[in-house]
Amino acid sequence: MNWSVVVENLSYLLRGAVSTLAISAGVVILGTAAGVLCGLLRFVVWKWLGAGITGVIEFVRAIPLLLQIFFVFFGLPALGLKIASFPAVVLAMSLWMLANTAEVVRGGIQSLPRGQFEAASSIGLSTVQAMRHVIFPQAIRRMLPPFVGLCTILIKDTSLAAIIGVFELTRAAQETIERTFRSFEIYLVTAAIYFVICFPLTQFSQRAEAWLQRP
Amino acid sequence: MAYTFDWGAVWQGLPYLLRGAGLTIFISAVAMLFALALGMILAALTQVPGRLVPGLVRAYVEVFRNTPLLIQIFIVYFGLPQLGLRLSPFGSGTSALVLYASAYNAEVFRAGLEAVPWGQHEAALSTGLSPFQTFRYVIIPQALRISFPALGNNLVSLVKNSSLVSIIGMVDLMFVANDISFNNFRTFEIYGATAVLYVILVLMLTRLLSVTERRMLRSQ
Repeated sequence: MNWSVVVENLSYLLRGAVSTLAISAGVVILGTAAGVLCGLLRFVVWKWLGAGITGVIEFVRAIPLLLQIFFVFFGLPALGLKIASFPAVVLAMSLWMLANTAEVVRGGIQSLPRGQFEAASSIGLSTVQAMRHVIFPQAIRRMLPPFVGLCTILIKDTSLAAIIGVFELTRAAQETIERTFRSFEIYLVTAAIYFVICFPLTQFSQRAEAWLQRP
Repeated sequence: MAYTFDWGAVWQGLPYLLRGAGLTIFISAVAMLFALALGMILAALTQVPGRLVPGLVRAYVEVFRNTPLLIQIFIVYFGLPQLGLRLSPFGSGTSALVLYASAYNAEVFRAGLEAVPWGQHEAALSTGLSPFQTFRYVIIPQALRISFPALGNNLVSLVKNSSLVSIIGMVDLMFVANDISFNNFRTFEIYGATAVLYVILVLMLTRLLSVTERRMLRSQ
């Protein structure tokens, strides 16, 4: 074991961690906005649109994220859509986030008692108004724990960006190891940095879930 | 956009892709079997009296759930040889998957065990069963039934996560897709076909799980 290697390269790894957080933030913003929209569209307006969205979401959720990244980065250029590695990762992961967020939204809305919908429409609210003022404000509390869990998975999965050469924590670790040949120490510290980022989030998610289950 | 699709490339590559899918199924099945066993043992250890053992299990679960699977695979495949422990790609890939999935399974089993009402323990003990027999014949079967849907989700995740072993050179479905498309440059068609194969795998699996669940409920 040689821990001085870790001390010398820690600042480089932390630069990678900052990049990991930046990618995650971008994906959370893009994917969540699109995911909430798609999740809600499944309940309001036309049936065929909802069915189409559901089909796409189920398809995306059934394939590995790694395949999605390869598809965007290597597959789309074949059609003439050249895309750099960074936007490719953000796009592929946002699609993943979209599909899973939409699923969380669906779960949150469907967990509400049917009477809420009926009561809202009986006082004369339109479907959109009912969703906006009655259903969504209640459902969002139930969506919070699974959504935070999703963000944790997302942060861990940004490590896949390293495979197509995007600079983030895992890539920083690989570059450090290419220089120093100390794979065990460097990967261990890398794992520790991911842990420090993700652990508070999973704890928050668990606490929030327990808190919501209180009567 | 003047692109001519060549779906013939998919037909040509299909036998190779299917062989890759076979390995994906095999790795997932082996990893899930071990991950179920390890997860069950870990969950049972959380019920041991005292603080030390449940605390250690808790630490294991949190460490493996809060670090990326890719890093875990790299530590086993690239890191451990530095300590003198050299595993094959299959050995490292599968053991990393087992460690990762068992943390998730342990959490599901633990929740299942704690969801069995306390009266069940008391009733079983009062009929003269030993604490071990109570656990083995009364609590575990009920906990399993409660945990089944969540374990099914973990299995589906495992199938998708198994694509990461392609990075360390296992010739699974993901690896074959890369191999073919980097040779014939039909990336769009090959990755598209691979996505469809993964979807078919996951659909078959969820179907199998829901049939099993219905059988289990009926035999109750």
